[in-house]
Amino acid sequence: MTEMSKAAPLPALAPPTAEITPRLRAITIVAVVGAVSVVIAFTCGGYWLSNFTQAYCMALAVLGCALLYGQLGLVSLCQWALVGVGGWVSLRFYHYVHPPFVLTILVGGIGASVIGMIWGLPALRMRGLYLALVTLMLAGAFQSLVTVISFPVGGPGFLGQVGASGNDRITMARPVFASGDTGYFLFVAVVTVLCIFLVEAHRRSKPGRAWALIRKNEQMAAASGVRIVFYKAWAFALSGFLAGVAGALLAGLFGQLDGSAFPTTTSIVIFIGTLLGGYDVWLGAFLGGVLTRFIPALLIDLNVNTNAGFMIFGAALLFALRDPLGLGGQLTLLAERLYSKFQAQRAS
Amino acid sequence: MIKIDALTVQFGGIKPLDTLEAQFSAAICGLIGPNGAGKTTLLNVLSGFVKPLEGSILLNDAALLGLSPQRRVSLGLRRTFQQELVVDELTAMENIEAIADHVSADHASARREVAAALDFVGLSARRSVLGRQLNLFDRRMVEIGKTLIGRPKVILMDEPGAGLNEVETEQLRRLLIQIPSVFDTQLVLIDHDADLIASVCVETLVLDFGKRLAMGPTRAVLDDPVVRRAYLGRE
Repeated sequence: MTEMSKAAPLPALAPPTAEITPRLRAITIVAVVGAVSVVIAFTCGGYWLSNFTQAYCMALAVLGCALLYGQLGLVSLCQWALVGVGGWVSLRFYHYVHPPFVLTILVGGIGASVIGMIWGLPALRMRGLYLALVTLMLAGAFQSLVTVISFPVGGPGFLGQVGASGNDRITMARPVFASGDTGYFLFVAVVTVLCIFLVEAHRRSKPGRAWALIRKNEQMAAASGVRIVFYKAWAFALSGFLAGVAGALLAGLFGQLDGSAFPTTTSIVIFIGTLLGGYDVWLGAFLGGVLTRFIPALLIDLNVNTNAGFMIFGAALLFALRDPLGLGGQLTLLAERLYSKFQAQRAS
Repeated sequence: MIKIDALTVQFGGIKPLDTLEAQFSAAICGLIGPNGAGKTTLLNVLSGFVKPLEGSILLNDAALLGLSPQRRVSLGLRRTFQQELVVDELTAMENIEAIADHVSADHASARREVAAALDFVGLSARRSVLGRQLNLFDRRMVEIGKTLIGRPKVILMDEPGAGLNEVETEQLRRLLIQIPSVFDTQLVLIDHDADLIASVCVETLVLDFGKRLAMGPTRAVLDDPVVRRAYLGRE
């Protein structure tokens, strides 16, 4: 200790809350996602199991969106298009190489990661509404592109089409160990957990700290030695990777993908899910993603027009405006308080 | 040591710095002047955020102009800002680690330097407290801690005492005096508190309308009638 701090102890602060260690956080992630997934796997079937599988894919897309917004304050409205890019690349790779499924997922993720990084280039100069609009236009451009070229279906050439008849369409096979609906859902759950770990590892280490400095103040970050362009590109690449993995998993779920499945509006819904769930905690992304798929699926099940979902999301946004922590943030805060109380009681 | 030669900055028709000549060679140097004198502009030029119209700056014989802010950091230049910029979501230690990630030689030295910085600013016991839970004084200490990482050659501090009460300013003063000897570095201090400058700085540069009004031993500069009239508003 320095002479100064010995001589003049600094004023005391409010007692800190119990520390959430990385190990405890990892256990919590596995326990929460695992418990929810096991309940879904053994109580749902057919329609709902398929929808929850899609919801988990949506959660991965929201996780990427939340990473950009929560860590850097960047609004990206092309996340669903990047899911489409991941689906396109993984299908193309699968039909061309016939690799193991896990490798297909990785290639889909990497493909979307590269495109995400390129699409993120405007972010080096833009922020806020302008960046949001540019990314929204990119999502629209992707929608137009896949409507024209469609997704690969096992045909020859780069585009992988089979001609007008479409008789030779080949679907992408699921992994052998997860060929059934329940098995595939649990496989998607495991991939979701691994992706959450990947994001948490980033948030708690060098890139996460660099993103935090950039978000606080770019000049201060530069004066701290942070390479702004590199770390922004890194965030877009990671966000794109998560979307690409989601696209590959969707391709595995349905065996093939259709151009009409990637409308621009879904990217906006993903951003709404990011706000509703909460962008600063992993649970927020998980809940936000699940909600954005669960609500439309519920409306379909109840024979209600799915456009009502937009009204529900709009109303829920009012809640999000009042509480920037979001649903996941509130639950995390509650859990941390209970844990701190438990630790304090145990200590006493 | 920082050597500034014929430095001119122009924003439209205004020259915040006008053919400025100065040399900071003492262990702790002061930079004072009335509002709008060009103090923060000079710091921004030194940090690489403002491109001057002409002139040159040497940091220990290395030309600074033309280098990116990050390259200047790697040459040993550090700075704090007028507004404290502690990240609320990071702990005190993580805020300091965030700069160690980019300037320390390796992981082991980063850990060592972060621990030394936390100890020096008196935050070792509260290293796990989130930025948002720290009071203003502690946040200022975190900002100072950040500048001590990675063997800094020159630290530029822009009003580190802003918002602090008398007791805290005294603690700050005692801390600042120790920095050059403990960390083998030079300190350039901007502050409006003439008493703090007088008690800490060996030599001081006074700016007025972007020009050098005076430079020399701090006591002599502060007693200069021209400086007293321009800066302190009295003779």
